[in-house]
Amino acid sequence: MFKKVLIANRGEIAIRVTRTLRELGITSVAVYSDADRNGMHVMLADEAYHIGPPPSKDSYLNIEKIIEVAKKSDAEAIHPGYGFLSESAEFARAVQKAGLTFIGPTVENILAMGDKLASRDLMKKAGVPIVPGTDGPVKDVETAEKEAKRIGYPVIIKASAGGGGKGIRVVLEPKELASAFRACQSEGQNYFKDDRVFIERFIQNPKHIEVQVFGDKKGNVVHLFERECSMQRRHQKLIEECPSVSVPPEVRERLGAVAVQAAKSIQYVGAGTIEFIFDNNSKEFFFMEMNTRLQVEHPVTELVTGYDLVKEQINVALGNALSFKQSDIKMKGHAIELRICAEDPVTFTPNPGTIRKYRTPRGPFVRLDDCGYPGYEVPIYYDPMIAKLICWGSTREDCIVRLQRALAEYMLTGIKSNIVLHKNILQHETFLNGSYTTQFIDQQIAGKKQRELFMFVDEDVFLISAAIEAYNQSKSKDVSDYNLASQWKRTGRQKALRT
Amino acid sequence: MFFEAESDGTKYQVTVNESKTHWRVGLKPEGKEWVYHQIRKEDYMSLDQTVSFLFRDSSYLVDVIAKGTEYTVYTRGAYKSLKIYNEEKLLHESLKSGGGFGGGASLNSGMPGKIVKVFVKAGDEVKEGDPLLIMEAMKMENEMRAAAPAKIKDVLVKAGDNVESGATLVTFEKK
Repeated sequence: MFKKVLIANRGEIAIRVTRTLRELGITSVAVYSDADRNGMHVMLADEAYHIGPPPSKDSYLNIEKIIEVAKKSDAEAIHPGYGFLSESAEFARAVQKAGLTFIGPTVENILAMGDKLASRDLMKKAGVPIVPGTDGPVKDVETAEKEAKRIGYPVIIKASAGGGGKGIRVVLEPKELASAFRACQSEGQNYFKDDRVFIERFIQNPKHIEVQVFGDKKGNVVHLFERECSMQRRHQKLIEECPSVSVPPEVRERLGAVAVQAAKSIQYVGAGTIEFIFDNNSKEFFFMEMNTRLQVEHPVTELVTGYDLVKEQINVALGNALSFKQSDIKMKGHAIELRICAEDPVTFTPNPGTIRKYRTPRGPFVRLDDCGYPGYEVPIYYDPMIAKLICWGSTREDCIVRLQRALAEYMLTGIKSNIVLHKNILQHETFLNGSYTTQFIDQQIAGKKQRELFMFVDEDVFLISAAIEAYNQSKSKDVSDYNLASQWKRTGRQKALRT
Repeated sequence: MFFEAESDGTKYQVTVNESKTHWRVGLKPEGKEWVYHQIRKEDYMSLDQTVSFLFRDSSYLVDVIAKGTEYTVYTRGAYKSLKIYNEEKLLHESLKSGGGFGGGASLNSGMPGKIVKVFVKAGDEVKEGDPLLIMEAMKMENEMRAAAPAKIKDVLVKAGDNVESGATLVTFEKK
């Protein structure tokens, strides 16, 4: 077992890793930038070292400095968390070169999956499905019709240089193909001086489904089922759940098998996630990319499988075999994670500032991975996520009700947060029945007025509360109020006024 | 005690009177009639710097943050910023903006951040939608544009400056 591990990260994930280290009896080493001296991850770790100024490139992305601190503190291994250096082959290599252990995949793993296009080719060769399409440009209508038939309708025709709605046509039926093809070709030529045109399957109801995989250095690879992460805004995940209601049992089996096959093809080591685009009409899935790290949303997998994924990462990094076999891994119940961010719930723009009141949800089957406290200033330099609220329920319905209950307990003031957005989503029909796609927020939520999102509050509460507080403030300055200020206080105040 | 308030663009006249057992809050939206709310003191109670407010059979935990004339009320994940002026502040505001209150004579930063680029200088005439400056906050660059045609009176920041929430960045002259 390691005696000491450095965590090259900040915020909730640094705390998450620290917790497992402490449970394993490993001394934890935190690092912090000037903007994070007040960070909760610094206070909860056993040791903490300053690594530079606030901008990430000068601190959390400073490979040299982090390795220097690891050596100075006698750490034997480095856990990179997610983001920052977690998928940097250069960092993984530098850690090894320094004689330390990188708690993550091999350098080769990171390189193989780092390039989106190259990794797709690699997966295609390994027999993993990718979105069907033409290999090269299509010259004429006859070929286009043949190719579209092979790919399967609906298809999308894209001019090679197309963009901004020009040179793109969705074709639902064969009879629309010819005219759409000619239109794309001509728009490509007229707007972009390039008439090359490609055809690809069009995914009408796209969902983001990913599979958690785990490998060890002995060649074992297992999967820990899927997570659905279709609830996104600004192309970033907002809600994740396990299992997905859209994945039938036989598809789940195939998803897992394909993910294991993909990870095995590159001898994957450690925790990784294979992301698929999932067609909710046909239930087909296609490889998008692989994330060679621990994911933000790993807690939902932990809650339904009962395994501590960080503990397993450390086990594998020590060179041990995986502590569980595929047949050991069972799903129990349902878990959902909500990302709580310091952002405007209407515009989705980050809104940093100082947290004033902070009272977190508690009670049965509630897990909160957070880094906030009253008086904490959310720094402007990093990701605005301040907490992940994760609940477990024996069924999806129980889980959702529990999340609603937990959100009602969550008090966070002084900054804007998306708590109220989550409240709205959690009672939306399309979320409740599980049919939501990656377009849900754009189509159903974005553009809602603040007043609609705030339906949980009687409008008068704002005005009356503000009026009473304004009254109390004015009153406390007013010495002429005989009823409430004692004569002694009045005399004292008047005296103070004279000097 | 008499106040004027502004919420979501609506102006209100407000009265608050305190008795031993109640607050009596009167609200009069512009052009409408007075509505009075009798709030029992035991229903609006300060606990651990948070207010427990029982209103129309609902239980709210409320936090009110006052900064000058701006009052931000947080409850149930929702929030609202209102302007409240007492007599003294009403006078002050009218001097500042030359009549009326709540005029947009300046561009202020809504959050702490760093100025990346400034496009305008004093004396420039801008149209609605013209870029004024780019400000970086939380890894995102935000372009701040003119909300209406105006003449730039003064630019108070330069590229590289760190600014606090609420800081005045650019002031305008009325056209």
